[in-house]
Amino acid sequence: MKLGPSRFLGRRRPREYAGGGRKAAVQLYHVSKSYTAGHYALRDVSLEFGRGEFVFLTGPSGAGKTSLLKLIFAAERPSEGQIVVLGRNAPRLGPAATPPLRRRIGVVFQDFKLLPRRTVEENVALALEVVGAPRRDNRAKVFAILKQLGLQHRRFHHPLSLSGGEQQRVAIARALVNEPEILLADEPTGNLDPELTVEIMDLIAQTSTRGTTVIVATHDYGIVNRYAKRCVRLEGGRVVEDAPAHGATP
Amino acid sequence: MSRAAAQLASFLRAALRGITASPLTSGIAIATIGVTLVLLGAFALLVANMERMLDDVGDALHVTAFLEEGLAPEAQRELASKAATVEGVASVRIVSKDEALARFRGGVGRGAALLEGLSENPLPASLEIGLADGYRSASGLARVSGSLDGLPGISDLTSGQDWVEGYLRAIALVRGIGWGLAVILALATLLIVANTIRLAVLSRRDELEILALVGASRAYVGTPFLLEGLIQGAAGGVLALLLLYAVFRLVLPGFEFGLELVLGGVAPRFFTASEAALLLAAGSGLGLFGAAAALASESRP
Ligand SMILES: Nc1ncnc2c1ncn2[C@@H]1O[C@H](COP(=O)(O)OP(=O)(O)OP(=O)(O)O)[C@@H](O)[C@H]1O
Ligand SMILES: [Mg+2]
Repeated sequence: MKLGPSRFLGRRRPREYAGGGRKAAVQLYHVSKSYTAGHYALRDVSLEFGRGEFVFLTGPSGAGKTSLLKLIFAAERPSEGQIVVLGRNAPRLGPAATPPLRRRIGVVFQDFKLLPRRTVEENVALALEVVGAPRRDNRAKVFAILKQLGLQHRRFHHPLSLSGGEQQRVAIARALVNEPEILLADEPTGNLDPELTVEIMDLIAQTSTRGTTVIVATHDYGIVNRYAKRCVRLEGGRVVEDAPAHGATP
Repeated sequence: MSRAAAQLASFLRAALRGITASPLTSGIAIATIGVTLVLLGAFALLVANMERMLDDVGDALHVTAFLEEGLAPEAQRELASKAATVEGVASVRIVSKDEALARFRGGVGRGAALLEGLSENPLPASLEIGLADGYRSASGLARVSGSLDGLPGISDLTSGQDWVEGYLRAIALVRGIGWGLAVILALATLLIVANTIRLAVLSRRDELEILALVGASRAYVGTPFLLEGLIQGAAGGVLALLLLYAVFRLVLPGFEFGLELVLGGVAPRFFTASEAALLLAAGSGLGLFGAAAALASESRP
């Protein structure tokens, strides 16, 4: 029996995928996503995001930014291709293994997804509670992150009584409170004024220096330029540009 | 430990929030479980009391084996010990011809004059055979009689008390109707509880989706709903116990005559503590099972 080189590669590749290396947090291999037949939200996307890397995801509306993030935290399954997140084959995880992966990922949703009937504090504590952490320990952590985001005086309010920018910061607080290994932020500054935008983006950037992989989807080229980080540009579901970080620090 | 307690407390809070969020549907579910358990409980009480009445007349449950004429006392004793080894037989007593006659005289009173003209005692000796616990039923009687039938020296067998067989059949009928009702009502109740929980799941769909997105496990999301079903079921059980007790205390005494007819003067009894607990458990089980069914059907994509 002959062991051709291609066969050899074929055997080795899955091991590379599964291990994810020590550096890669997210790997996408020829990923396509189609919600409706004949229309692709993502098409043949291959990307790799390292641990502690800070990446911007840009592109016009409908380019597939949100879809890409959803694939990463296993809210959607790819139509084709492979996705490895933190060493796990994300789309293949069953209902029992998906929650533990999600707890390692903080997500700031484009539409916030806050619970209207819970207070700000309870909303943020949710990310800790689902892990089963005791309430008393949560309080201090929740207070600390709310203070960092300038929301400590709002902690007993309900989300709907807050401004759009405040709600957005609650969503960011919830994503950051359990120190995730990956932070996915979908338009995290869409409702913030320019000064607050800088403040919040600095906070998000800080988490990447502590080892968190940060992926920020945004339309705002102002902040993309300001941070001079790696920038992946999507158009019509395809990666049209993958510009590496260019040294300058904020 | 305290962590688990805190977790349980937060699940309980969520479950109670769910119940108070839609008091009408929760109330209907509780009332349905309550009505089901009232009916089942009433049947259980009736059967229990009828059986108790049989226990009270315990002696009535025996088989009389008449012995062939002229069987020597020696042979009678041998037959008695043989009968004692038959499965289902608890006791065997020999009733001699003389004892039978004495009993008859005592029993018929003045009619005893009928016997005066006879020169010879016409009554046969017999074995009075008591039944073991598991055999105090129509089928038990029949089985024991069947086994005794083949023994040589026995001329005739009778359970003596035909009404007992009838009564046993009546108990079996009541029990059968009770079980039939139980199955039908339990299914109907399950459907109603499942629907209540399904509505609760649907009304909180957005919230549940968010919980799932921040990494809540299915157990974390589902437990409050299971508890909600459990609480509704337990509440229905309490309701049923209260209703049954009220009927037992306030209404039954007005039907003394009817009771006497069915129970033959035995004072009716209510559930023991463990039976009451069983009824509560049945209610809780119905609620829990209904909720589980609802969750299973809702989590299917
Ligand atoms: N659940 C869905 N069902 C059907 N089509 C969808 C769904 N979600 C997204 N799409 C489609 O997929 C494409 C990409 O959408 P996506 O939300 O990923 O874009 P986006 O880059 O995040 O846009 P925006 O900047 O407006 O948020 C769009 O054409 C959209 O209509
Ligand atoms: Mg989007």
